[in-house]
Amino acid sequence: MKLNVNGVEHALESGALTPLLHVLREELGVTSPKAGCQSGGCGACTVLVDGEPRRSCLTPLGAVDGAEVTTIEGIGDAHDLHPVQEAFHTLHAAQCGFCTPGMIVATVALLKRLPQPGRREIERALSGHICRCTGYVKIVEAVEAAAGGSR
Amino acid sequence: MRAVGARVEKVDGIGHVTGQTTFVDDWRIPGMLWAKVLRSPHDHAAITKLDVAPALAVPGVRAVITHEDVPKNVLGHLEGLGVPADEPLLAESDVRWKGQPIAVVAADSEEAALAGVAAIGVSFEERPALLDVRLAFEADAPKAHHWGNWFPHFGGPDTPPDHRKIRKGDIDAAFEQADAIVQGVYRPNAIEQMPVEPQVCACVPESNGRLTIHSCTQGVYFTMGIVAGHLGVPLNRLKFIAGTVGGGFGGKVESWTEPVVALLALKTGKPVKLRFTREEEFLCTSTRAPWHIEIADAVTSDGWILGRKMLTLHDAGAYARFSPYGVTKHSFHIAGSYAIPNIHFDGYVVFTNRTPTSAMRGFGVTSVSWTIETQMSRIASVLGLDPYEVRLRNASRIGDTTPNWVTLHDPSSVPVIQAAAEAAGVELTADYRTMTRDPRSGDLLPEWLEGQLGDLDAKES
Amino acid sequence: MASEVLLPTSPAEAASAFGDGSGVTVVAGGTIALPDITHGRMHPARVLMLARSGLDRIERSGGAVTIGAATPVAALVDGDEPLASAAAHVGDDEIRGQATVGGNLCASAGETPRGDLQAPLIALGARVRSAGAGGERVESLEDFLAADSSRLVLDVTYDDTPRSAGYAAAWRPHAHHYTILAVAAVREGGETRVAVTGGGPTGRRCPSVEAALAGGASTRDAAATVLDDVDPADDALASAWYRRRVLPGLVQKALDSLAG
Repeated sequence: MKLNVNGVEHALESGALTPLLHVLREELGVTSPKAGCQSGGCGACTVLVDGEPRRSCLTPLGAVDGAEVTTIEGIGDAHDLHPVQEAFHTLHAAQCGFCTPGMIVATVALLKRLPQPGRREIERALSGHICRCTGYVKIVEAVEAAAGGSR
Repeated sequence: MRAVGARVEKVDGIGHVTGQTTFVDDWRIPGMLWAKVLRSPHDHAAITKLDVAPALAVPGVRAVITHEDVPKNVLGHLEGLGVPADEPLLAESDVRWKGQPIAVVAADSEEAALAGVAAIGVSFEERPALLDVRLAFEADAPKAHHWGNWFPHFGGPDTPPDHRKIRKGDIDAAFEQADAIVQGVYRPNAIEQMPVEPQVCACVPESNGRLTIHSCTQGVYFTMGIVAGHLGVPLNRLKFIAGTVGGGFGGKVESWTEPVVALLALKTGKPVKLRFTREEEFLCTSTRAPWHIEIADAVTSDGWILGRKMLTLHDAGAYARFSPYGVTKHSFHIAGSYAIPNIHFDGYVVFTNRTPTSAMRGFGVTSVSWTIETQMSRIASVLGLDPYEVRLRNASRIGDTTPNWVTLHDPSSVPVIQAAAEAAGVELTADYRTMTRDPRSGDLLPEWLEGQLGDLDAKES
Repeated sequence: MASEVLLPTSPAEAASAFGDGSGVTVVAGGTIALPDITHGRMHPARVLMLARSGLDRIERSGGAVTIGAATPVAALVDGDEPLASAAAHVGDDEIRGQATVGGNLCASAGETPRGDLQAPLIALGARVRSAGAGGERVESLEDFLAADSSRLVLDVTYDDTPRSAGYAAAWRPHAHHYTILAVAAVREGGETRVAVTGGGPTGRRCPSVEAALAGGASTRDAAATVLDDVDPADDALASAWYRRRVLPGLVQKALDSLAG
């Protein structure tokens, strides 16, 4: 099986039933998707599969063989922050940081689909992403700021 | 005070928003083994058989530890605060809560470790379980703890050994003078801290004999002491790499994974990691305690609280952990932000066959704060008074004393309640809008209280 | 321990790989199966993955709408009511993108009922085409659910006809909570069909409500008879008492939103 992860092709040894999360973390060493619950319930493992946000813990490798996978590493780095990353950083939308990669990946997908989301749409798009530190207020503000900045 | 009001860049923010912050689970350690835990399926049972040999025969399994592998299995985590040791790291002859750890398997993969756990031969003889604090004092209640069903080690001046007790002022006089008695039973329930990062720990045995421990603990030095205590090694054998915590909220002072993983690393000579599942987080780690709180307040028809009788049953679960400390804190806060001159309080740390409870964000205080604010609204409702005014009338003022006789020099109850009213768009009457926290005088001082507040602060002899 | 994984590339291949279904675990979106496998609660010997089976299409032709079993729930959100509203009530964006119609129809009640699409499809009068022992079979969704047999859903079909639809659901505390209660109602021609999620382990049709409506009862009186049609249970999300208490109001709300 193969995956293109953040622009790099990989031939993989993991089996078809191995969750994508496990493939990324354990076989490829891409650790930004987190094993928060491994049950689809927290959002911390969210990655883009062919541009669509997916729970990598629920996705068997066999179902996405040959797909393009984007993790937060493929969105921007410290020297070239994506506007969503910039907004999360400057507006303190990341506290402990554990849910942040999943939040940002889902936000990038949201803004691609809907460049000017309303508050309700932001809340709905992030409804499956659990943060226990900041209480969502700053996260929603950061998404609004990122959307404003991309105008 | 350069930071107050200024926007300061978060030191670890860039790592967080780029996914490059290294949490414990993110360390890549070559040759690492995975650990999985055998847990009690029963609330209360005797362990009649424990045979780990079949687990060792499972391909990929490298080691299994039980209580016999722990140099000091029963270690008091809070002995410095007067809570004697009661809880084993790994269960010995009995299990007292569903989820209590019995044995831990280290294997080449998570799958092999799970298969190893499933292969362990274990049998139980179930015992009656105590699951409700209200039944703990019955003569025929199941015995949840070897100390009895409530913590017996408080002691100290003016304090009986088996509960926290406060007698302040003249409670009988307060109830005689009351126009009404407002009663309430409050049962704030258990809450799981639920950090999004589950508890996870990795230990690397170094060639110099030291152990490098990657831990998500909230209290590095506390946890180091726990590991050194269980292992019976000096602190200089331990190197902790910690400080990056994916949320804790009190749950990550638990310090159970660290000694277990250290023991497995010593036994196998290989790095070992243990990461709780979300199910384990919910079912097997400490929660905020559930409480049973009964209050009877002696009140006047214009809203003064003359006296409070209160009984607290704190559900500690199966072992003491931080619960005695929680109830001690709780006992100081039973009047909340209010000055109640006469107090009669008894608070028990009750053991049950539930998951042990422990630290979570202001534990001991938050649950009683909710209780007291609900009771304040109930008093207002029973008397037909404005809930803000009842609160302001009784709010702590400069010179008032707390239930444990601490004089308040700088209480903020009055301005905070006024600000809350304003934020809620509630119009206060002039008396209450202009009220200050200065010592009571004039119209807002009830006759019966005049000149008495200081005198009431004497302890009952 | 490793499972044998079958990855058919056409509906026919999928049906043939499924055979009579014995010893086969079907993984479509993976939202239910993967956690069970990851946490060692399930050790499937043979796994049939539908990701490449071609069963993920929605076709509207010949007066019927046919939805393939591997169609993601997200594909229904902008479609026909009351299915669209029910689909929007499933999980969150990511779960809807992954969870499938077939998985939803076959989802056994876990700790709480979890087949949110069953009730709206019953209300739409849907038929299920399935493969398995005895070959291919087409039956009403109610019969399919009642049979409780292990079959591979291929697709589900309902008439493409003018209708009025109503949907009402109890508030979910969180996006990851399964639906506590939902009601789907459809009026086609003179007939009204009503079905409920949360009234039992699977979606249930409500013959008493339908009969009361046909007999000229008010929506309020008809809705009250729903308690004869359901058998709700206590679970972590809600008590049976709560469900019985709230359901008639939801039924009335769904009925009142139907056009004349």
